[in-house]
Amino acid sequence: MIWAAIFLSGLATFLMRFLPLSLLAGWQMPPVWRRALHFVPASILAAIIAPAVLMPEGSLMLTDNLRLPAAILAAAIALRTGSVVATLLSGLGFIWLLGLL
Amino acid sequence: MPASNSQKTSSRASEFGNGILDELPLQIGVFPFGLVFGIAGLAAGLTPLQVCALSFILFGGASQIVFAQMVGAAAPFAVLTGSVAAINLRHLLYGVAIVNYLRHLPISWRIVLGYLLTDEAWAISMRRFRSQPASPVMHYHLLGAGVTLWVCWQVSTLAGVLLGATIPEELQLGFAVPLTFIALIVPALKKRAEILAALSAGLAALLLQDLPFNLWLIASALIGIGVGMGAGQFDKPRADR
Repeated sequence: MIWAAIFLSGLATFLMRFLPLSLLAGWQMPPVWRRALHFVPASILAAIIAPAVLMPEGSLMLTDNLRLPAAILAAAIALRTGSVVATLLSGLGFIWLLGLL
Repeated sequence: MPASNSQKTSSRASEFGNGILDELPLQIGVFPFGLVFGIAGLAAGLTPLQVCALSFILFGGASQIVFAQMVGAAAPFAVLTGSVAAINLRHLLYGVAIVNYLRHLPISWRIVLGYLLTDEAWAISMRRFRSQPASPVMHYHLLGAGVTLWVCWQVSTLAGVLLGATIPEELQLGFAVPLTFIALIVPALKKRAEILAALSAGLAALLLQDLPFNLWLIASALIGIGVGMGAGQFDKPRADR
């Protein structure tokens, strides 16, 4: 049953990755689609970020949550430097440092 | 095809190499994520082989974590596979956005690039496709980025399986995931409509957590896109001036 689920999920995921590349290849995209797609990265990544930062244990935690200041610091570093390495190291470094204290 | 043109702007090797180089910094976030999945998979009751098979066959970090959670919670087969599919629905949007740059490729290339199409590889290669001069071999950039992430993901999953519970929970390695996405998205938020799209998608993700089958992710993304398009309507006259 687990193996069947692994293969079925894998097949479904592959098809969702592959089919747009294949079926839409000859398709001229209407401008309204183009405008919508412009917002895909910001929307999806923000939707992954928000719960991971604000709900680390499944419910909203606005206090006693080190991830919140760490994420704000990381976002400021990202904005200032544009560097992935600096962003990751500042966020993880902050949480490790304060976690140890 | 102008591929043999003397004014060739890029070679296969340089595109492939740049894809690897652009993708490498993100592995600081991907590697801990792979470790976390390896550990979480075993903790949920999957065998080491099943954990590694998930990374090879499914190859989608967030959905693999959900898979492990559902197995741990003894969720029924339909809920398990439905949740994974819902989390991965976003790849349809990725494909629609990137197909423009890949339409000339034969099917074998589309199969390979489709399999390798992950959040981080897509984001990095879209940045190259949009902001640098087009080239008939620029799909090698996505190949380089995709292969880099693939190798890192397989190795880190295996490391998580082998090291298992020896990695202390206090390290909060799972936090590397949102940090990676912060690094990708925050510098790219420039216009007011983009910021509003991100804020509304994030807020929706907090409010919609209880939707069945983990549909919160795709629903929140669609809300963000809708808000962004709406706000863009008002932005436009001002931006043009």
